[in-house]
Amino acid sequence: MTIVRMKRAISRGGLLRAALLATTMGFAGAGALAAAPEAPMGGMPMGGMSHGTGGACKDARLGCASTVTPTLAPDGSLWLAFDVDNKVYVTHSTDRGRRFSAPVAITPEKVHLDNGPDARSAIAVDAQGRVFVSYAIFKDNNYNAEVFFSRSTDQGKSFSAPRPLVDNTASQRFAALAVSPNGDLFATWLDKRGVVAAAKKGKTYPGAALAYAWSKDGGAHFTPSRIALDNTCECCRIGVGFNGPDQPVVVFRNVFGGTVRDHALLSFKDANTPGPMHRVAVDNWRLNGCPHQGPSLAISSAGAYHVVWSTQGDARKGLFYARSTDKGAHFSAPMTLGNPDHERSRPYVGAVPGTVWIVWKEFDGENSVVNGRVSHDDGARWSPVRTVARTEDASDHPMLANDGHKIYLSWMTKMEGYRFIPLEDKP
Amino acid sequence: MKTKILAGVVTLLMLSGSAAIAADLHPFVRGSWKTLRQAHAGKPIVVHFWGLTCGPCLAELPNWTAALKKRADLKLILVDASPFGDEPGEVTAALKKAGLDSQENWLFADSFEERLRFEIDPRWRGEMPYTLLIGRDGKVTGMTGIMDFKKLDAWLDRQKKAS
Repeated sequence: MTIVRMKRAISRGGLLRAALLATTMGFAGAGALAAAPEAPMGGMPMGGMSHGTGGACKDARLGCASTVTPTLAPDGSLWLAFDVDNKVYVTHSTDRGRRFSAPVAITPEKVHLDNGPDARSAIAVDAQGRVFVSYAIFKDNNYNAEVFFSRSTDQGKSFSAPRPLVDNTASQRFAALAVSPNGDLFATWLDKRGVVAAAKKGKTYPGAALAYAWSKDGGAHFTPSRIALDNTCECCRIGVGFNGPDQPVVVFRNVFGGTVRDHALLSFKDANTPGPMHRVAVDNWRLNGCPHQGPSLAISSAGAYHVVWSTQGDARKGLFYARSTDKGAHFSAPMTLGNPDHERSRPYVGAVPGTVWIVWKEFDGENSVVNGRVSHDDGARWSPVRTVARTEDASDHPMLANDGHKIYLSWMTKMEGYRFIPLEDKP
Repeated sequence: MKTKILAGVVTLLMLSGSAAIAADLHPFVRGSWKTLRQAHAGKPIVVHFWGLTCGPCLAELPNWTAALKKRADLKLILVDASPFGDEPGEVTAALKKAGLDSQENWLFADSFEERLRFEIDPRWRGEMPYTLLIGRDGKVTGMTGIMDFKKLDAWLDRQKKAS
C-alpha cells in the first residue's frame, strides 16, 4: 500500500469518526465559534511535524493542533496557544472550553518551530487582558533557536508582529511566560550564550544557562536579559511560580558536576536577585545526553512549593513528587507516582486554595491515560491514583490550568481532539 | 546472510505499508521493532537512538563513524527517535554530514511515541542518546547517554568469542 492510499484510508476513517462525534455530542454546523472536541482528519504525515499529537490535520483549527498550552486569564477566560503545521495560533473560550473563538495566527507564514520533545509555545494573560505569547524557532542547522514574542492589546483580536524576546543572538529555547502577582511579565528560558563565549576561547561549557527578563509595561519592552544560573540542562521545560509580588520561583533540570542531571530550584529574593540554588532531590542521574523531560512547579496560597519530575537516576527511577515548606531549602522524601510497570511521563502539578492536583501520562502497552492524585492538606496526604482521561493514540503532554479556585486538565489527543476537564475540588 | 537481511527489509516495507521516507530512511512505526529484530535475529547488532534536537546526539554522531571504520564487526542501526518531530530531509542531511547515511537508518514516523518506545524498551522514557546492544543470543543491554566506546569494543569482542 502506498502512503497516499494509506492516508486516504485513514482520512475516511477520520471523517466517519468526525461525523459520529458531531452526532453523539450534539454539535451542529461550525461558525466563527467552533466546537471544542474536534475529531481528527487526514492521515499520518511523514515527518516534519511537531511532537505532541503529531498533528491530525493541517487546518488552522484547534482540532489539528500538535501541542496546546493553556492559561486561565484573571477574568476566567481560557486562552490557548497551539501549533499546526509549523504555525502558532491563539484561541480563547469564555465558557471553560465548550466553544472557542476563531484562531488568530501569530506566525502568518510557516516557521521552523522548535519541535524538541519538551518544547511548546508559552502563553500568559495579565489583569488588563493583554495576551502574551512566545515560541522558539530553529535558526540554523545546529538546532540553535531563537525565542519570539508577540502580544495582543485588543483582547486577542490581533497580535503584534513577533519579535525576538532576547537581546542576545546565541540560542534560546524552552521559554516560559508568567505574570507576577504585582502584574509584571516574567520570561525565563534556557540560553546558550555561555556556550558561544566559551567556544570563542576554545573551551567547552556544559549545558545551557537559566536566563530571565522582565517587562514592566505589559510586554511593550523587556529589560536586558540576565543569567540567573550557569550550566543547567539544555533540553527540558522549566517550571515557574511566584513567592511574592515580584519574586519568581523557577524549577529546572540542572547539571551537577558536569554529568548529573537532577532537579534544582531558584527562589528569587527580589525581581533581580536569584536566591541560592536548592536541589530538589539527589536522584543521581548521570547522563551525557538529553532527558527531554522537565519538571513542573506549583506554589500554594500557604507558600508550599510542590514539585514533580521525571528521573532515571541511580537513587530512583520514575516520576516523583516532593514539597518544600521552607522556600525550597528542604524537600520532603520523593513520593513515587504511577505504576512502575507502565511507561510514565510528563508529570504536572497545580495548586489552588484547599486543593493540589498532580497529573501524569501513563501508557500500559495499549492505552495512554492521564492519571492523577489529589491532596486537600497542601501535599501532606494524597488520594489513591485516579484516572482522569484516556486515549488510544498519540497525545500531547497533560497540563493543568487554574482560575484560583478550580483546577482543570488541559489535554490534546489525536483521536478525541482538545479536552478541558474540571478536576474534583472537594475532599 | 545479506539476502536474509534484504528479505527482512522487504518484509518490513510490506508490513509498514509505506516506502522509505527519504533515501534509505525507513519509517519506524508500530511493529517496526519486531520486524527489525527479526531481520537481524542471531546476529549481534547495535541500535542507536538519536534525534536532531538533541545536542549531545549530534555531537556524538561522528564518533560512530569512527567506530565503524575501526570495527568491521560493528553492525550499526540508527533510529531517529524524535517523537515525530524530525523532517526526513534534515535527518538525511545530518546523517550524510556525519558519514552515516549508508547505514540502516530509521525515523520515528508515528506520533504515538509512548507506544513505539514501549515496544522497544518499556523502561526507556525517551532520553537520548540511547543505545541497545543486542547480542547473538538476543540478550539486550541498554546504554544511556553518549557511548563509552571502550565498553562497546569489549562487548563486540565478547560477541566474536561467542560466535
